[in-house]
Amino acid sequence: MSSSLPQGRRGSTDRGTVLLVVCGLFLIALLFRSGFFAPASWQGFCAKFHQNFIEQRRYMMLVNGLKATLHMTFFATLIGLAIGLILSIIRVAHKGGARIGPLAAFANLYITVLRGTPVMVQLLIWNFTIFASARDLKTLYIAVLAFGLNSGAYVAEIFRGGIEAVDPGQMEAGRSLGLSYRVTMSRIVLPQAVKNVLPMLFNEFIALLKETSVAGYIGIDDLTRAGQNIQALTLEHSQPLVMVALIYLALVLVLSEGVRRLEARLRRSQR
Amino acid sequence: MSSPLIEVQDLHKSFGGNQVLNGIDATVEKGEKLAIIGPSGSGKSTFLRCINRMEEPTSGSIRFMGEEITDRACDINRVRRHIGMVFQHFNLFPHLTVRGNLTLAPVCLRIMSPEEADLRAAELLERVGLLDKIDEWPSRLSGGQKQRVAIARALAMDPEVLLFDEPTSALDPEMIGEVLAVMKELAEDGMTMLLVTHEMGFARQISDRVLFMDQGLIAEEGPPEELFSHPRLPRTAEFLSKVLRTEL
Repeated sequence: MSSSLPQGRRGSTDRGTVLLVVCGLFLIALLFRSGFFAPASWQGFCAKFHQNFIEQRRYMMLVNGLKATLHMTFFATLIGLAIGLILSIIRVAHKGGARIGPLAAFANLYITVLRGTPVMVQLLIWNFTIFASARDLKTLYIAVLAFGLNSGAYVAEIFRGGIEAVDPGQMEAGRSLGLSYRVTMSRIVLPQAVKNVLPMLFNEFIALLKETSVAGYIGIDDLTRAGQNIQALTLEHSQPLVMVALIYLALVLVLSEGVRRLEARLRRSQR
Repeated sequence: MSSPLIEVQDLHKSFGGNQVLNGIDATVEKGEKLAIIGPSGSGKSTFLRCINRMEEPTSGSIRFMGEEITDRACDINRVRRHIGMVFQHFNLFPHLTVRGNLTLAPVCLRIMSPEEADLRAAELLERVGLLDKIDEWPSRLSGGQKQRVAIARALAMDPEVLLFDEPTSALDPEMIGEVLAVMKELAEDGMTMLLVTHEMGFARQISDRVLFMDQGLIAEEGPPEELFSHPRLPRTAEFLSKVLRTEL
């Protein structure tokens, strides 16, 4: 912490630390109650831990699960970005007077349906209805598609908000120079819109990371399912899932810190 | 080259049910400086913005260099290259440096190579007295500097005419002078200019002709000396007495 920080910022950082400590204590209390430390002694805990994670290299189950989770999140993010960008541009262009009624209607329907139904139901429909006969297709791809298409609907709304927040004078200035709508949009409006919504996009993908935990329902051994699988093998009910939760939490905290730094940086560059 | 640069006939524009322009007729010759004055809501800005179709006219005809630009077949993007516009709120591109603001359009439209555009940008910035700001971000410029960059950006396309939409209205009083100085220089270099303004003194000083607009029509027009000193209509006299009083 540099000493040049204004007092208010420093105060809020201190409050943040206190909050984090309180949450940590609460978590430990919760773990205690749930039986994470239930074996009467520390040795008992260690024995359980060894059985759950070390024996027969069971930690590899978690590692592979984490891989599947990250894999799904990463590719679904890419699909979500692409779809979100296209949908948002369709909606904005339609509002701006472009004659693309059917496309805009489709975009609206898409966003309404995919935001209006649970992602898990969508995942099940993709797997058991739409791709029911495509048995040779890896379920992982189906999950990536389901999460990506779902995320696209949310990203579209984020992008649309970002584009609409750009001063209309920017579009006018670009057009007045003789640039086409398309060029003005891509070279002048979108760069500003993306910069404005970058933190929101990252938050969306952090949420997506957690949402992929339902992938187990179509038989993908993601991080959550890996925890359940260990449970099934060791018949130990708390340690595996708590470990899974801690891994998610660590990931989310790291990513959130990234977003926080990004936001600070963006704020600085806007001055 | 006997036809005027811009020829507007019976121009109407309404927003919803709100009639803003009620039949404007005007011509602008090459090299002419036209000041458009009038009370707010009289349609001055709308008229100006129709000339490069920033606003879509409801009916009427606008000819630019002999070409009907209200025609659907007309490629408005090509026409706009020749009609520069300077806005009240500058509208510089905040994500680009001053250099980027000046070179984006000429390079994107393949009118110049990046190197040519760079040279041209430096030339134009020198002309508006801001060569030292070429690598600066717009957010670090004062209002007056921003507007001078905006003028240079419009000039980078080598337009036939420049449209100024209240270019000094958003400026702090001490910055108005530097922008007007640049515009005066442009006028002396023979640039065709259409200027919507509340700066009566400046309008009088640089314009060849003044249009007084009221209720969507050109109520009165004439050389600045005549219109400012001996307005024909009582409305014009009343408007002038109001704005000139506040200017003192």
